[in-house]
Amino acid sequence: MTYPPGNPYGQPQGNPYGGQPQPYGQPQPYGQPQPYGQPQGNPYGGQPHGQPQPPYGGQPHGGPPQPPYGGQPPQPVPGGAPSGVPSTLDPHTLPDDDNVNPYVFCIALNGEWFMSKGAMLAYYGTIQFDAVTEYSSVQAWVASRFSSPVYIQDWVVAQGHGKLLIGDRGFDLNSYDLDDGNLTIKASNLCAFSRQLELKQSIVPGFVTLIGTGKFIASSNGPVIFVEPPFRADPDALLGWADCPAPSVHHDAQWMTQNVRGMISGALGRASGEERQYDFTGQGTILLQSSEVAREDPAVLRLVESQTQLLTNSQAGALGQRLIARAQQQ
Amino acid sequence: MSFETVNSKVVRAHVGPGTPVLARRGAMLGYSGQVTFRPVHGQGRGMGGMVGAAMSGESNPMMATEGTGQVLYGYKGLHVTVLELDGGAPLVCEADRLLAHDATLQTSVQFLGSGGLKSAISGAMTGQGLFTTNVHGRGAVALLSHGGAFPLQLAGQQVGVDPQAYVGHVGQLSVDLAAKVGFRDVVGRGSGEAFQLRISGSGTVYVQASERKF
Repeated sequence: MTYPPGNPYGQPQGNPYGGQPQPYGQPQPYGQPQPYGQPQGNPYGGQPHGQPQPPYGGQPHGGPPQPPYGGQPPQPVPGGAPSGVPSTLDPHTLPDDDNVNPYVFCIALNGEWFMSKGAMLAYYGTIQFDAVTEYSSVQAWVASRFSSPVYIQDWVVAQGHGKLLIGDRGFDLNSYDLDDGNLTIKASNLCAFSRQLELKQSIVPGFVTLIGTGKFIASSNGPVIFVEPPFRADPDALLGWADCPAPSVHHDAQWMTQNVRGMISGALGRASGEERQYDFTGQGTILLQSSEVAREDPAVLRLVESQTQLLTNSQAGALGQRLIARAQQQ
Repeated sequence: MSFETVNSKVVRAHVGPGTPVLARRGAMLGYSGQVTFRPVHGQGRGMGGMVGAAMSGESNPMMATEGTGQVLYGYKGLHVTVLELDGGAPLVCEADRLLAHDATLQTSVQFLGSGGLKSAISGAMTGQGLFTTNVHGRGAVALLSHGGAFPLQLAGQQVGVDPQAYVGHVGQLSVDLAAKVGFRDVVGRGSGEAFQLRISGSGTVYVQASERKF
């Protein structure tokens, strides 16, 4: 793992986007008049927004701090012209396995990559996109790498040579390098991963675990925040975790007793959301984002449906009636 | 106590004994330490505040964060702007733009209609509603905006702001609605900028980089 482990709140020490001249994650992004707390020092020299900044904010090349993602030294990226005028990119000037800007990532494809459906923005070269279900019948290794039947319909295999640009809802994209490690991430935020990695469904619904050595790209609403346990996270804000034991669910008892609505819903076995938190203990790193507007995830339906086989017939009937009542209310 | 910006969309609050924080419900992203959350009902002080909040829809379910620890706040991926109020003038904004603020600050609902029919009409026409929230006192406020809010400093001049892009203001300012509705607007061929907020006085106006609310 090469994300910054000693930097718990996600002010990346290096420049994660390889030469992004306008660091959007700096502490004073809108030129506010009042100074406010800033613990880690301004990595970009405290320059006001809008003033032309030297690329990389004057940080040293090569030596520590290391660039957190990808391990590549920062290189001038033509996509980020300082004046804000976009420069034209071609297959030679597009970066290799690096961000073009915070929202677009360029994969130098030479072989196969797994990609989330709809993540492709554009490509140069000869690249074929096949559904994972189709491709696994041709190539046996695919089925063993992608062992998640719930998500298999939402993924494609990109195969060929060229430059592949991906993006997701305008969210920030980050690439992560796994070195014989494991990282669990929200399934709807995973955009692409290299064929060396193995994808497995996490025990926590809606999350997938990547195991092995390789690269993957995931989106986040706003920059990723890294925190260390012990920590409790809101399920909507949780992006993923690495090397942690699986989280447990913590119910805020005080919230439920003090809030009348919370008490009623608690007694009915329902949760309004606020009192439920994921509790992390032990060693590892937790990845957070600003909570995002939930996207309808087709995999959730399949996930819940696959769980209903635990129910007896009479229980399944009762659940069905409740669901019908809910659908009619809306 | 102040909020610390983690990035453009997330702030961190250091909660300690005697420095609780009020935040929008559902805005807690995560926390470490011994922190408890308690739902808070009503808004503002006294009966008027409570009734006003209930009547106006200008109330937001809030929660108090107490204990000792660090809490991260953010809401639906919206940008967060931290303001320090010096107690001189209240912050005027809509209640649902408040992400979090020091519990020492007081909020009250203001009825725009008391400023005369004109201001009531301006609230109704611009989609701002007939009520706004005033935040009084000394302390820090975290405001939500779509696309990020930037300050416009006013010292006697006048500035025109799109009603949808207006976030809030601090200082001795008067806000007027300027409507220039002509025949073209009626037939749907207007410039789309028929309504403008004319703000004049001395203070700071916060404007967001989007015309979308949330």
